[in-house]
Amino acid sequence: MAGDRSISFRNVSKSFVARGERFTALDDVSMDCPPGSFTALIGPSGCGKSTLLRLALGLDQPDRGDIRIGRLAPREATASGDTGVAFQDPALLPWRNVEANIALPLDVIGKPRSAFRDRIAELIDLVGLKGFEKSLPGELSGGMRQRASIARALVTRPGILFLDEPFGALDQILRRQMNIELQRIWADSKATTLLVTHGIDEAVFLADRVVVMQSRPGRIATVIDVPFARPRPKELFTSPAFHALNDVVTTALHGA
Amino acid sequence: MTLRAGWLRNLVILLALWELLGRLHLVASGALPAPSVILLKLWADRADYPPHVLATLEASILGFLVGNAIAIAAGVLFVLSPVALRLARGVNIAIFALPPIAISPVLVLTLSGMTPRVVLAALGCYFTTMTATVLGLTQADARSLDVVRAYGGGRWSMMRLVQLRSALPSMLGGLRIAAPNAVLGAILAEFGGGGRFGLGTYLLGSLGRADPPRLWGIGLTATLIAGLAYAAFAILGNHIAGASRAVTIPAAAPSLPGRHSRLASILLALAAIALPLVLWWLLLKGLGVPEMIARTPAGIIDYLFLADSAGSAQSRLLAALAETLPITLAGLLAGLAFAFMLALLVDVAPALGRSLMPVALVTQTMPLVALTPLLVLLLGRGTAVTLWITISVTFFPSFVTIAQGIMMVPRPALEVPRAYGAGKLKELRLVAIPASLPYLFAALRLAVPRALLGVMIAEWLATGKGLGNLLNQSRGYLDYGMIWTVAVVAVLIAVVFHQVVIFTERRVLPRLGMTTVE
Ligand SMILES: Nc1ncnc2c1ncn2[C@@H]1O[C@H](COP(=O)(O)OP(=O)(O)O)[C@@H](O)[C@H]1O
Ligand SMILES: [Mg+2]
Repeated sequence: MAGDRSISFRNVSKSFVARGERFTALDDVSMDCPPGSFTALIGPSGCGKSTLLRLALGLDQPDRGDIRIGRLAPREATASGDTGVAFQDPALLPWRNVEANIALPLDVIGKPRSAFRDRIAELIDLVGLKGFEKSLPGELSGGMRQRASIARALVTRPGILFLDEPFGALDQILRRQMNIELQRIWADSKATTLLVTHGIDEAVFLADRVVVMQSRPGRIATVIDVPFARPRPKELFTSPAFHALNDVVTTALHGA
Repeated sequence: MTLRAGWLRNLVILLALWELLGRLHLVASGALPAPSVILLKLWADRADYPPHVLATLEASILGFLVGNAIAIAAGVLFVLSPVALRLARGVNIAIFALPPIAISPVLVLTLSGMTPRVVLAALGCYFTTMTATVLGLTQADARSLDVVRAYGGGRWSMMRLVQLRSALPSMLGGLRIAAPNAVLGAILAEFGGGGRFGLGTYLLGSLGRADPPRLWGIGLTATLIAGLAYAAFAILGNHIAGASRAVTIPAAAPSLPGRHSRLASILLALAAIALPLVLWWLLLKGLGVPEMIARTPAGIIDYLFLADSAGSAQSRLLAALAETLPITLAGLLAGLAFAFMLALLVDVAPALGRSLMPVALVTQTMPLVALTPLLVLLLGRGTAVTLWITISVTFFPSFVTIAQGIMMVPRPALEVPRAYGAGKLKELRLVAIPASLPYLFAALRLAVPRALLGVMIAEWLATGKGLGNLLNQSRGYLDYGMIWTVAVVAVLIAVVFHQVVIFTERRVLPRLGMTTVE
């Protein structure tokens, strides 16, 4: 899937009908993620972040507007096998062991598992699940399941990565570790990444740009550029410049 | 642990009591022999059993395989295409509601050898397994399905990677109920004639010989086979799927939400009604059944309304219906009323429920109706036997359904009235009775076809009245028109009854702020 790895949302609106009433979840959202960029999406709960991601994956259809992954429509892009996704809920298949769960995308797009043996082993190592290859999800802790689902998102070496609060279930220490790992993975793969998060520090540490959303209806409030040089060391978390930018995002969130 | 010990103790007490009653010839002057006598008789007859057991087993197993293969394929198709499900609704309801005994002679007429038995066994499996498959497939975790779709997976990928596997516990639960149903179907087909061997044939052949221990031996053997089939799939289910939840018999044809215009909905409904007729016609043509024996839908209208003998046919049919319908209704209501009262009693005295529930669940797996000759033995050939057979086949599934419904009422809901000082009766009136209403309807849906089956079998084998007897007589007179007519009328009655219950249910429950249960 050579070519364009950009993501673009053009005037996207989406409403839902709940208990007979129609309400607008996303109202005229436009946003561009250039190839190889890292975008963090942050906003109050219920402002439509997950909805935006589901639209980009073709899991739902927008009422109005257009979404493109490169030049492709979402369903075409996902079928080409160049996208990866991790949801907030790990949604592992309970009857597959860790290895087989990580291989699920391969089964969907019809690639032989045997060609990805090394890749799977490498990912298991990366997310710290070595020794648990043959474990079933029911035998793992919540955090371990979450890490397996992140490995699953990366197994196809996707050019475009969608992450919906993937670290939400992890404790603070593990979360920091995973942030640092994710930065490395992203730098290696140059995947265009869209990360939904409710962690302000996580957004600022990882992203090139933080897109702040507001709710009722879901709209983009502001976009804040993050100027820090890469690779960003973990000391960044404790630097004054980092805290200052965190405060800017916090103000945008609550003042919006 | 204590539950199991109590169970064992009850069993021992029951057996001892039975032995005593039998030894002293206390019940119907020896119609209930002591267990030891039955066992001795079984031993004496041991050379007779193998061909009969094998014949019934063969038909049951073949029917089980065929019926479930079709059921699972149909379930998958229905989930992939909700339009197909709507089209098949008529066929599904007909198969759910039809009393097997009514179509047994027709099958024996049109098919040869073992086939009628296999078909009836397969029909006994189809509905539960198909429904369990549809439920299992549609209840797959939505988030797992999203993952597959997020990688461009289509319907078939979702089916293959997620739904089929996650439906396994539900499907195994369906197979568990289907297994004894297959045995029952095979035995009922044997009642319809054809073939020298089979437990049903053996039972009928022994009915006239005034040999209660023999009849009991056959009945217990049939029960044992059905029970073992159930247990085998229960164990398999636990082993493979870790699914140990109690499985209840589905009481409604599955339906899936679909977006159709009003016109499309009406057309689909009409097509669904037409489909069983079309299939019937196609089957007859496809099998090349001789004109003289076969009756198409048009042939039945001719027989009943146009032919010279139509007047006599009508009056015989109406006379039979006048016998059958009232007693079906009476047995149905009595069985349901007993079940309802016992379920409420269990709510008041939970200890009673704990010892009754296993018994009720076990009896669900027994081919009860196939044991009618035993009841004839005990109760004679009067109307009482019809009533008791009907009550016994409607009572147990109704009790299980209603009692489980009451058990599902959340504890806090029960405790609120108690906290305000309500006594047991008030608690029943305020919580348990209203809460059980949807389950009462579900039980009614389940009981309708069983009631008709029970009455027709009793009429056929014992009382010599009504629709069941008309069917049996017509076999003797080679009155093919009447055989087909009774089969069709019996299925129609069951379907109409079923639809009336659903119609009433859909009016009544929403008004009380309740929803129907499956
Ligand atoms: N399938 C759906 N049906 C009805 N409402 C929905 C559906 N999906 C999301 N919503 C609603 O849309 C709004 C945005 O949801 P979501 O995108 O999940 O928010 P976020 O991820 O930002 O917390 C919420 O109010 C949610 O309840
Ligand atoms: Mg969300």
